[in-house]
Amino acid sequence: MITALIVDDEPLARKELRRVLSKADDIAIIAECSNAIDAIGVINREKPELVFLDIQMPRVSGIEMLSMLDHEKMPHIVFLTAYDEYAVQAFEQHAFDYLLKPVNQTRLEKTLERLRRNRGPQKIGELPGASQLRQIPCFGQHHVQLVRMEEVEYVASGVSGVCVVTTDGSELPTELPLHILQDRTPLLRCHRQYLVNIDFIEKINFLENGLAEIRTRRGQNIPVSRRFFPQIKERLGIL
Amino acid sequence: MQIDPVGLSLVLLQQMCVYLVVAYLLSRTKIFIPLTHATIRPPHKLACYVIFSLFCIMGTILGMPVVHAIANTPAIGAVLGGLLGGPLVGLGVGITGGLHRYSLGGAFALAAGIDIVVQGMLGGLMHRHLIRKGKVRTLFDPVKAGALTFAGVLLELLIDLAVAKPFDQTLEIVRLIAVPELIANSLGAALFMGILIDRRALIERQSSLFSAKALAIAARADGVLRRGFNQENSMTVARIIYEETGVGAVAITDREKILAFIGIGDDHHLPGTPISSLNTLDAIAHNEVTYADGNEVAYQCSISPTCPLGASLVIPLVGEDSHVIGTIKLYEPKTKLFSTINRTLGEGIAKLLSSQILAGRYEQQKALLAQAEIKLLHAQVNPHFLFNALNTIAAVTCDEPEKARDLIGDLSTFFRMNLKRPSEIASLAEEIEHVNAYLQIERARFSDSLTVDIDIPDSLGRVRLPAFTLQPVVENAIKHGTSQQLRPGHVAISAREDGDQLVIDVQDNAGLYEPKPAGQGLGMSLVDRRIRNCFGPSYGVTVASDRDVFTRITIRVPLEAASK
Repeated sequence: MITALIVDDEPLARKELRRVLSKADDIAIIAECSNAIDAIGVINREKPELVFLDIQMPRVSGIEMLSMLDHEKMPHIVFLTAYDEYAVQAFEQHAFDYLLKPVNQTRLEKTLERLRRNRGPQKIGELPGASQLRQIPCFGQHHVQLVRMEEVEYVASGVSGVCVVTTDGSELPTELPLHILQDRTPLLRCHRQYLVNIDFIEKINFLENGLAEIRTRRGQNIPVSRRFFPQIKERLGIL
Repeated sequence: MQIDPVGLSLVLLQQMCVYLVVAYLLSRTKIFIPLTHATIRPPHKLACYVIFSLFCIMGTILGMPVVHAIANTPAIGAVLGGLLGGPLVGLGVGITGGLHRYSLGGAFALAAGIDIVVQGMLGGLMHRHLIRKGKVRTLFDPVKAGALTFAGVLLELLIDLAVAKPFDQTLEIVRLIAVPELIANSLGAALFMGILIDRRALIERQSSLFSAKALAIAARADGVLRRGFNQENSMTVARIIYEETGVGAVAITDREKILAFIGIGDDHHLPGTPISSLNTLDAIAHNEVTYADGNEVAYQCSISPTCPLGASLVIPLVGEDSHVIGTIKLYEPKTKLFSTINRTLGEGIAKLLSSQILAGRYEQQKALLAQAEIKLLHAQVNPHFLFNALNTIAAVTCDEPEKARDLIGDLSTFFRMNLKRPSEIASLAEEIEHVNAYLQIERARFSDSLTVDIDIPDSLGRVRLPAFTLQPVVENAIKHGTSQQLRPGHVAISAREDGDQLVIDVQDNAGLYEPKPAGQGLGMSLVDRRIRNCFGPSYGVTVASDRDVFTRITIRVPLEAASK
């Protein structure tokens, strides 16, 4: 069986896709999501093989969502769009599959057939505009918060997962791993467990043994490890 | 001094030659032109009277005193004056000439004075006769003019015999002057008329040549510049003018650079290079024709000192509001003179090209306007909305066929309303119908995550406003508002009276409004601009927003539309 996830903000669109997929016996729909942020969590936890991903969704678009996923563990992505000439062209260039809504049964069957033949990891190029994150989706008890890059003071990884610390001191857990945030945001790696926003560094205290400590404008101390210190000095222009 | 008829004839013929030389010289001037037509206009008649009176007096002055009389040729002026100017002019010339002759005195003074008046009358009567018969061309027949003058002189001699005393002496003189006067006057009148018709033929030939050239250029250049005032089209037109006028070279410029140059000197007058000639820059700056003929006004090519061009005529091309958009330039080499034909033709061509360029620009603007309208129509039919709506209908077709049918009805209503032209005026009730159809589909798409409240009193349904005012605003509230948030969306649409204004509020609970120059701002500013255009600056669209709480779009239109 191929495990699949449907991501679309319109309930009837999800229902319609489920209906056309019901004719394929080997597809098991494990979940439906109505936005990209929920979907990231489901993908990270459930690891579906196939994701049907609508592009136009609130706050985080389908294309943006891709850059929040770990490329090493990327599921097969099939984009869904009602009408977007530009996007269709982009998908073709970057070897993504795409379906136009309302979905044509025959066309869907082709997509599934290709998938059945080649179930290895999808080798895809990045979509234009998808590489850099503008905001980090964070999860509270009952709500989702999108933190803009200029609001992030630093990001810390601990036993309970990754946590975004904002300039007003709130600590918000996120599903995104540190290495994705390091790759796709301007945040600077200063320690195995920390990323820091370079704009909020007030000073760097040199410690013994080649270690150092960053002090943020808000007065928070963030450790700097020996391994990352040279890179930080380079970025800040300290020789 | 020995006086015999043969000698007198020769003397009179000599005089007549002087007389005709004067006539010929005059014929080269503009004052002669009215004489070449059988004229009915008072100013032309006056010119006719003055000129022939002068000829008449000249004929008398150049005369040869014979005993108590003068052998002379005033008859030519009097007869031709009457013949060409009509009875009144004839009489006038006759009286003027007659009084002059009478003032010179002598035994024949009275008789000769009367003669001239009678001859003027004779010409005038013949004029009236021929005009009535419709034989205008016969007026200019040299042979007929000669014959009429012959008759005039015969009359003169008879009058002399009847009036002048003593009869014996008169008879003697008449015998002496009869033949010379008859020959000199008749021949003189005929030749005078000959000069006149030659002159006329010349003018006609010139103007027909001019018309032919002008028409040929107009026909060949028709519509070329209408396609755009650029280098390629200018080159085509310049070539046509160059071929048709036969001038040394032709150039067309815009305000900055040479667009086309064809003819002598095209090795250094290169299209695409900036204008360097002061004459041209002057013509552009002052919107006037500048003419450097190389004689009175020096001409020197501003690019090369060895340029063979010796004269230039620069005529501005004039666009909207007398704004100069370029020039057309005609050149002749140093070895040739500018013909007046080409000068006048140049100005005509400039007018023709100016109007073509204007027409071209007008068409271009019309096309742009049509494009803008099409763009607007495209914006109305948002393909994303259409295909999503179809997808929604596909989803409910199996389980809820009734709902599917309703949605298809809503989609039909929506598109039917969309087919209205944006320039139309609609009632608020129609606008609400449009919005309702749209909202039915959006509500189906987003199910529980979108709620809408509409609170508009029925009494306001008849207020008039531009079509496509409400729907784009509501669509914006959903597309860029509620559908962009993760919690359920709510849109409230309400209308109320405020003094003499109708105020419509469209409020969403997303509060994601960001003033943008393009995108969302485009649709909104379009609605705003149309209302202001329609009703004036105290109406239109305003926005209030509280981030993440609400965005409220307020539309104001007059309750009683005194639509402009």
